[in-house]
Amino acid sequence: MNWKQVLPLILVAPALALAQGKGPSDPQIAGIVVTANQIDIDAGKIAKSKSKNKEVKDFAQQMITDHNAVNQQAGALAKKLGVTPEDSETSNSLKKGAADNIASLKTLKGAQFDKAYVEHEVAYHQAVLDAIDKLLVPSAQNAELKGLIIKVRPAIATHLDHAKHIRASLGKK
Amino acid sequence: MKFVPERLEVAAGDRITWTNRDFVPHSVTARAAGLESGDLGQDKSWTYVVKKPGEMAYICRLHPVMHGVLVVR
Repeated sequence: MNWKQVLPLILVAPALALAQGKGPSDPQIAGIVVTANQIDIDAGKIAKSKSKNKEVKDFAQQMITDHNAVNQQAGALAKKLGVTPEDSETSNSLKKGAADNIASLKTLKGAQFDKAYVEHEVAYHQAVLDAIDKLLVPSAQNAELKGLIIKVRPAIATHLDHAKHIRASLGKK
Repeated sequence: MKFVPERLEVAAGDRITWTNRDFVPHSVTARAAGLESGDLGQDKSWTYVVKKPGEMAYICRLHPVMHGVLVVR
């Protein structure tokens, strides 16, 4: 593994851990949810266009579909609750980490690209799961917002398993 | 994200309906057995009539880590 593949792994976890000292407000949580989904949609779009591996491309399409579905739910709930998603230290760090990841992915191709993308997806979904459990659910004040995050958690856990499965299959090649 | 129940015992001739209670699309797929629901959106259902006794493992084609087993008596 070269440094370009390692870099995104390092960036994800601190980004999500930043705000753990002081819990984010509900508008900030909504902002984190929307940002976190959009990041994975953007990475998925790059993987879909750059990868030649069917398993990776299918996974990337699934990330686009599922995270769009989550954002539609989040958008509808925010509208219903009259909450405007706000930026926070966490969402800004997420954006910075995502920009670095995309810049790194753009320099890679073939098997190297697939490995870097999938490795990052594993780390990213693990970090999101940790953030859901340690930051977002404990901090959410509104019951419906908290409920949405709890409802989304199994999808993130499934994505993590799926990404690990692909990582293992890429490792065999 | 999982099939509930993951293992279902039925009798040959029974009609089984899967309903997607999730907000992302799923499928019921067993390629070897020719089982394919197509993509099921939120709250969409798909019904299948089992014919032959035996065990049929199926997955969600979109999320292949989701597994289910149909046991036909």
